[in-house]
Amino acid sequence: MPSSVTFATRDAVDFVVIGSGSAGGILAKELSTAGFDVVVLEQGPYRKAADFTHDELSVLIRNELRGGGPELHGQTFRHDENETATMPGTTPLRYARGVGGSSVHFTANFWRFRPLDFKERSLLGPITGTNFADWPITYEELEPYYTRVDWEIGVSGAPGPFDAPRSKPFPMPPMPIKSSGVLLERGAERLGLHAQAEPHAILSKPLNGRPGCISCGYCMFYGCEVGAKSSTLAAMIPLAEASGHCEIRPNCIVTRIDTDDSGRANQVIYLDTDAKEQAQATKAVVLSANGAESARLLLLSENTKHPDGLANSSGYVGRNLMHNSHAVGNGVFEHPLNDYKGVQVSRIIHDFYETDEKRGFYGGGGIDARPLWSATPIFHVLQGMPPDVPAWGADFKNEIAHNFTRQMSIVGSTTSLALDSNNVTLDPESKDAWGRPAIRATYRDHPDDVSMARFLQDRAMELFDAAGAEKSWRRSITPTNGGEHLLGTCRMGDNPATSVVDRSHRSHDVPNLYICDGSSFVTSGRGQPTMTIMALAFRAADLIKAAAANGEI
Amino acid sequence: MPRNTNVSRRQFLQSAGSLSSVAYLRLSGPALAMLAQAAHAAKSESAPYRVLGSDEAADFEAIATRIIPTTDTPGAAEAGVIHFIDNAFADEMSDQLDAARDGLAEFNAALNDTGLAETRFSDLDAASQDAFLHTQEASEFFELVRLMTIFGFFSMSEYGGNKNHVGWDLIGFEGHHGAWTYPFGYYDAE
Repeated sequence: MPSSVTFATRDAVDFVVIGSGSAGGILAKELSTAGFDVVVLEQGPYRKAADFTHDELSVLIRNELRGGGPELHGQTFRHDENETATMPGTTPLRYARGVGGSSVHFTANFWRFRPLDFKERSLLGPITGTNFADWPITYEELEPYYTRVDWEIGVSGAPGPFDAPRSKPFPMPPMPIKSSGVLLERGAERLGLHAQAEPHAILSKPLNGRPGCISCGYCMFYGCEVGAKSSTLAAMIPLAEASGHCEIRPNCIVTRIDTDDSGRANQVIYLDTDAKEQAQATKAVVLSANGAESARLLLLSENTKHPDGLANSSGYVGRNLMHNSHAVGNGVFEHPLNDYKGVQVSRIIHDFYETDEKRGFYGGGGIDARPLWSATPIFHVLQGMPPDVPAWGADFKNEIAHNFTRQMSIVGSTTSLALDSNNVTLDPESKDAWGRPAIRATYRDHPDDVSMARFLQDRAMELFDAAGAEKSWRRSITPTNGGEHLLGTCRMGDNPATSVVDRSHRSHDVPNLYICDGSSFVTSGRGQPTMTIMALAFRAADLIKAAAANGEI
Repeated sequence: MPRNTNVSRRQFLQSAGSLSSVAYLRLSGPALAMLAQAAHAAKSESAPYRVLGSDEAADFEAIATRIIPTTDTPGAAEAGVIHFIDNAFADEMSDQLDAARDGLAEFNAALNDTGLAETRFSDLDAASQDAFLHTQEASEFFELVRLMTIFGFFSMSEYGGNKNHVGWDLIGFEGHHGAWTYPFGYYDAE
């Protein structure tokens, strides 16, 4: 569907929003419905709910929603700067391309941060060799925007025993409990832990003209065919387009942001659907391309006034990449769970959220129960089989037949510490399909991140035992080779020497350039960042509107 | 556009796990419609293969049949995995058909080296096939056929395999039904 309004590239619009995902989709909606003229440049296609399929070969194997693999983006990876980065077969930094961004294919676990996440440096003190720091904002400042995410984006759930205060209840009850949730509860009770309902960006009932979940089971990695998953594609983009002030331009590859003689952003250069170069004039730019792409674009936009990249006088653009570490345990039970039906997660455990100095390392995390590998058949066979099963033959077949409906995973998600040595830079050789220098990711989990993941994996195995699993197994945790959570690369802070954006997401260096997405994070939270990305976007929109009203933009 | 063909061909396998460097699907976007059309055309059991010769098809099918054998439940043969393989080599993997043929020739040559001259894999009985396959487990060719068998057995029927959903029925996956009502399993129903 073409946007109802179109803007000429030569006439300056009020805002160009780069990226239409969790942050960009909200900013586009908020700014356009406030009457500003907005052009959204999205690198992927404009899919609608009806375009999403259950085709495991296409989505999972051929990376349909990510637009392809290494041959497309050319990303390289190394664990540290002493290694030569190479292009792995697995895309290191993974995100969807398309209107709605990764909110289209995410699993939709929507945990709020807690007050401690914003001020943990003050609570715990410094951690040598890291950039561990407080946020310049507090939970209390962000709380009204979490509530807007609950109600405007759509979050189902129920309060848990450790939750941060909320100003308004969830707009709808949690999704019903699944067998994996029952078993997690059973294990938790026996271990003295507290299972609680999962807050999910999936509608358990109709909301804002959108239908409730039909429990098809294709959430993780897939797009929602009915619009019950609360992507910005489902919840925000239609409102932005209905405003008459927002033009969505899909399949547009941004190559740089230009600045004028006064150092202000004045146009955005991109390749359109036909790979023809265009220049969209604008009064201001909102960069929400995700924690990998936003950093790269700023580095690509270097010019004589900004020789190290735009908004990068601090040298912090691309630095402090945080993925959240993950731990997985797998188990099989006597009776069928059929956990492939419905949303992934129905119960979580937050007893280990806070850092506990008795553990001997920094960090905290959350635990959830979900089908994971057993959500779809091919994924199950390629990733989810126990290690002691042959790779072919009758025993192989019988094991799949027995396990698929009886298997679940218990997943731990943890903090990541911010480090100079974990970063996004431009690869000196590799190019993407459009000729842009490719993203080079350098990443090695801090030892405390690995320790925390191992701690949660031990708890997962205890939970399987306590819940009565027939069989359980795990793979050992090693430093990650990449991730889906792309956090910290344009850090928010009051000090222009150690951060990229201020507390209103305005870049310290370029007064009409705002950066809001996972890159804004100062700390990583406990493994489910999108709720906070969306809350930040609602808050940033209010601050941008206020700045515009004051004539500052 | 791909700057390194070898890497792009490895992409699938490594993204699916720590497997070998066998090539699979090229990443040219969804081709389901095309495949579905082709599969429809080749739907009848008597339909000729689109690219595979009858000897080749017999060998691929025999290998697939040992990977997911017919037991008291249907296996790769009943699922029509060979039609998935034939479709894949006709369409998305057409650039890999020659390499796969070379792989099959080497595979049969290795069999001939065991003292079974002028014998094809499909000529052997099941026990002999299994014994020989155990000697080939580490080869890229075997891994390619193993993966294509898994895909053909468990992917949507539109791709040509998983006929009548026998792959999904085997494991209790009712994926073709679409929407669900609670309770789903034993423990949430309890």
